[in-house]
Amino acid sequence: MNQKNTDTEQICVPMTVDVPYRFAAGKYMARFLTELRDNGRFVGIKCPSCNRVQMPPRVVCAACHVKNDEWVELSSEGTMVGFTIMYLPLTDPTTGKPHEPPFVYGSVRLDGSDSTVEHMVNVEPDLDKVWVGMRMKVVLRDREERIGDLSDIIHFEPLPGQKRPQ
Amino acid sequence: MKRNVAIIGGGQTYHAARRHDVDQGEMVNEAVRAALKDAQMTMDDIDAVFLGNMEFFEGTHLTDCWLAGSAGAYGKPGMKITTGGTVGATIIGAGMHHIAAGLFDRVLCIGFEKQEEGDTGAILSGVAHPLYGRSMAGAAVGYFAMMGTSYMAAWGAKEEHAAMVAVKARQNARKNQYAHLKLDITIEDALNSRMLAYPVRMLDMCPASNGACAVILGDEKTAKDRCKKPVWIRAMDTAHNEQFEIDWRNVTLTKPIFSTACAARMYKRLGVDDPKKYFDVFEIYEPATWAEMVWYEDLGLCGRGEGFKLMEEGATAIDGPIPVNPSGGVLSTNCIGASAMLRVWEAALQIRGDAGGHQVPNEVNRALATAYGGTNWTVMTALSSSTED
Ligand SMILES: [Zn+2]
Repeated sequence: MNQKNTDTEQICVPMTVDVPYRFAAGKYMARFLTELRDNGRFVGIKCPSCNRVQMPPRVVCAACHVKNDEWVELSSEGTMVGFTIMYLPLTDPTTGKPHEPPFVYGSVRLDGSDSTVEHMVNVEPDLDKVWVGMRMKVVLRDREERIGDLSDIIHFEPLPGQKRPQ
Repeated sequence: MKRNVAIIGGGQTYHAARRHDVDQGEMVNEAVRAALKDAQMTMDDIDAVFLGNMEFFEGTHLTDCWLAGSAGAYGKPGMKITTGGTVGATIIGAGMHHIAAGLFDRVLCIGFEKQEEGDTGAILSGVAHPLYGRSMAGAAVGYFAMMGTSYMAAWGAKEEHAAMVAVKARQNARKNQYAHLKLDITIEDALNSRMLAYPVRMLDMCPASNGACAVILGDEKTAKDRCKKPVWIRAMDTAHNEQFEIDWRNVTLTKPIFSTACAARMYKRLGVDDPKKYFDVFEIYEPATWAEMVWYEDLGLCGRGEGFKLMEEGATAIDGPIPVNPSGGVLSTNCIGASAMLRVWEAALQIRGDAGGHQVPNEVNRALATAYGGTNWTVMTALSSSTED
């Protein structure tokens, strides 16, 4: 009989857990997402007290504790406030597939909004071609491909004719 | 507070990327035994046990049930707490509130994480809104990378400043026998380490560690009767940010955010005018180099946009005027469920003068510990050698 040393053998068993679920978007997020899907528009919500325009829209302003009810259409253009060039094969949790590195993604404040949105940026992974403060526009999928989710955005694209500030 | 509360003992495991030699219970028990030994107590002396970790990081839920035996909780009151990266400090907060309110006299607090056993990136993606941003979620590294680019653009900081933080942390960790990444690195090494997500390199990020920390809290009578060097919890506060609002990128912002609001409330309660003078040491929660410099500013150790200058001057070195993370910090050891408790415990060790190789050379009477997690929230703890301040 083949005797193993039970004092030193370590056992470590690989396992997987799969957790399906459903998520209710709610009234405000549903309106935001249907506007995006059906009309290709971004809408935010304005606080009647501090006038802050929040995206995605939510039922109350966290700072003022009042109900938000003034809908505001936002621009599809905005300013990059932060970005990264990703060198890791970041897994998209919604598909389980990796985004192929290197790729650029960034955080953009759409004109008219006080909040930001994060997505892929369609530039080469090159620090001469992307910077904080760069002007961007949103590129959406065609109407028939949109499903009512931020994945309806293909990417941000720099507005033409910009030079990196020295 | 209704009643004063002190840290009367504590302990930690050593930290490593692999701990196949122990299961979760065995690992937690290492820290519990160390804490009981330090406090010269047995489980019979403990009134209640509070325990926590990151939910599902180890593939198991209800860890309070799994670990009743090894945590010492069998038959005792207590609860499990799960508040993300802040959890270790939240557990101490819960223990402190129960003692301050008079419900218990002696509480054992335990934070742990066995990160190697689960897919932390996948579980963390659940923090993102399923319909707003989850497709881009999955790793903290991208978040800190955007913090880095925004910080550099706003203030003119350079990648070298982040490298200085990386070196300070790992050189301090070399003096800490329990730390995970004890690396003898230079600024050059940090700048040449593999790029993960510009501007965050390998050496700009914390490791994924396994480990546990346990802290025993006591009421004033127990502390004075049974403990040679009680460390008093003088104030504790928490604050959340608003979901979806990543305020650190808006550097012109004047409204208080989670970290500044929390610090301001705590300083007011303690009568602190100048935190860098009031506190003798800081243990802060910095999962990435850039976060450390932002913490300096949020805590009021310098003005806005001056965090990188404080680093450049060496002010926050172990022997500097404002020592920050003499233990090596989260950058050197990140067993998430224990990390925030380690900040408090390390701060307490500094006040006791028991930090060993990483004891700061100046006298330490007051210390501040921060926690950090979720979509930006913090728990802050102010400790003192005295109940008088
Ligand atoms: Zn408002």
